[in-house]
Amino acid sequence: MPASVHSQDQDQSMMDATAAAPQEQEQQVEQEDVVEEKRITVLPGATETAASFQFEGEGHTLGNALRYAIMKNPQVEFCGYTIPHPSETKMNLRIQTYDTTNAVEALEKGLDSLMGLCDVVTDKFTASRDAFNASEADKMSS
Amino acid sequence: MAPLVPSQAELDRRRLIDINLETVSNIPSTDFPGHWPGESHEWNLEKFRNEFNVEFHRNERFESSFSLVGLDASIANAFRRIVMAEVPSVAIEFVFVHNNTSVIQDEVLAQRLGLIPLKGSVDGINWMRWFKKATEDEPEGSEPADYNTIVLRLDIECTKNPNADPTETDPRKLYKNAHVYARDITFHPVGRQEQFFTGEDAIQPVNPDILIAKLRPGQKIDLEMHCIKGIGADHAKFSPVATATYRLLPDIQILRPILGEDAKKFAKCFPKGVIGLESVSQEDAAKQGSGYEGHEGETKAVVRDAFNDTVSRECLRHEEFQGKVKLGRVRDHFIFNIESTGQFESDVLFLESVKVLKLKCARWKRGLADLMR
Amino acid sequence: MSREAYQVPSSLGGQTAFDSGASSLDGPMVAYLCGECNARVSLKRGDQIRCKECGHRVLYKERTKRMVQFEAR
Repeated sequence: MPASVHSQDQDQSMMDATAAAPQEQEQQVEQEDVVEEKRITVLPGATETAASFQFEGEGHTLGNALRYAIMKNPQVEFCGYTIPHPSETKMNLRIQTYDTTNAVEALEKGLDSLMGLCDVVTDKFTASRDAFNASEADKMSS
Repeated sequence: MAPLVPSQAELDRRRLIDINLETVSNIPSTDFPGHWPGESHEWNLEKFRNEFNVEFHRNERFESSFSLVGLDASIANAFRRIVMAEVPSVAIEFVFVHNNTSVIQDEVLAQRLGLIPLKGSVDGINWMRWFKKATEDEPEGSEPADYNTIVLRLDIECTKNPNADPTETDPRKLYKNAHVYARDITFHPVGRQEQFFTGEDAIQPVNPDILIAKLRPGQKIDLEMHCIKGIGADHAKFSPVATATYRLLPDIQILRPILGEDAKKFAKCFPKGVIGLESVSQEDAAKQGSGYEGHEGETKAVVRDAFNDTVSRECLRHEEFQGKVKLGRVRDHFIFNIESTGQFESDVLFLESVKVLKLKCARWKRGLADLMR
Repeated sequence: MSREAYQVPSSLGGQTAFDSGASSLDGPMVAYLCGECNARVSLKRGDQIRCKECGHRVLYKERTKRMVQFEAR
């Protein structure tokens, strides 16, 4: 990527935060930090139980993990994900369910499963890490 | 219908990925509902909690090695990808060159500076907010302020050393400041940064001995750098890890006895410590059909520690071991190795990665709620 | 024929076309570096292009004093 070169007559100096109105900036900060929720678009041709969702800004990282979580649901007949073109960060996820549930519910359940999984991993990892550090400390001191 | 319980042999078969001489088989995981008739593989958080296990092997400050057992490959891979590309860190982004009369071109110098790993107070870095650059869609980017930008300076000039020996050839003795190192970068805290980044916790390069440029007398470099938070997916300089990898636990099964000289040769096919040599005991010889009958006292090969195996498949190349050994990998045992560049500690990095995955899911779930409306 | 001969563009036209053109209004003294002896040579408009010290006729312009911004990518 070529470096962007801007020739400037005046040096660009950094605004001192304490100089400018702090309240105004705090408000701005809060607005800036509200996480922009990207929308999931439903691709055309969807029905109650069969839908393709398009995620913007996602790839294999979430796609494969989410596909695994959704497939673990026995009410899901089919689940697969694809990246239509590698140059664009779009991920399409197709869910087909049996009549007992609908596609959006299955997607939500999958997301919940993943979040539960993350919690378990965090807990077990922290416990194991602390136990390991403690045992290493014992070894060093003994 | 009563649930079908698969035999232990069947479970073992499902647990392993087979490694043959020239192929790898039994790769896809089959633990989803509907694949095995009569078995329920429904997602069960409690079952996962009971079966999931974490075991640490090494936990140095900037390098950790640990095993995650009971996880699926897609999740382990998600953690690995996130720790490399989506855990935010701070690096030099904007370089304002006031003067550069060295032979290194401005843009080359700027690129080198961007790749220098920085360290500082972790609390401070977590307190920092994102800096949005001005783009075509959004011509109004963030204003540089103490909470989103860190200012560093590099101001150095090379001069002749009057005290040098006339026959001296080493440029480090002939000239002063001939070599510009990362330690010559100075940190200039602004506003609230002074609270967080002081003393040892100041923003400084992880490795002060990185050579940035070489100068000769009369050449100077005078520039100001702004550092912002970014993610590895945007540019590799923002990746907080030098490398984050995982491998699956190897599995070696000795099907038929390997005895005597063959056993010694077998042990040589693997890294030290993987295969041990023991002598055939009376009990082994007594076992019917084991193949050890009549070989009491001979040395036999035994799998000591498959963890250190590099799975080179060397043993599969030799005629004498055909049919006697089966190689494989355990499909749900991931041995992670995370090496940090120095900004964060490696165990913290993994926890951050799990947190990022959870935040992603939460964010998409909120987006889903909009869809439902 | 004389009507088609090249005519130097009028200074008025030149100044309206370029706001701060390269050659419209140079500073009274611009510093150059001699190609051989590396001495700083100050010249103004109309001066002979020659190094004051060694007489070499190739002079280089110094790096601009303006600040240049780069992205470290």
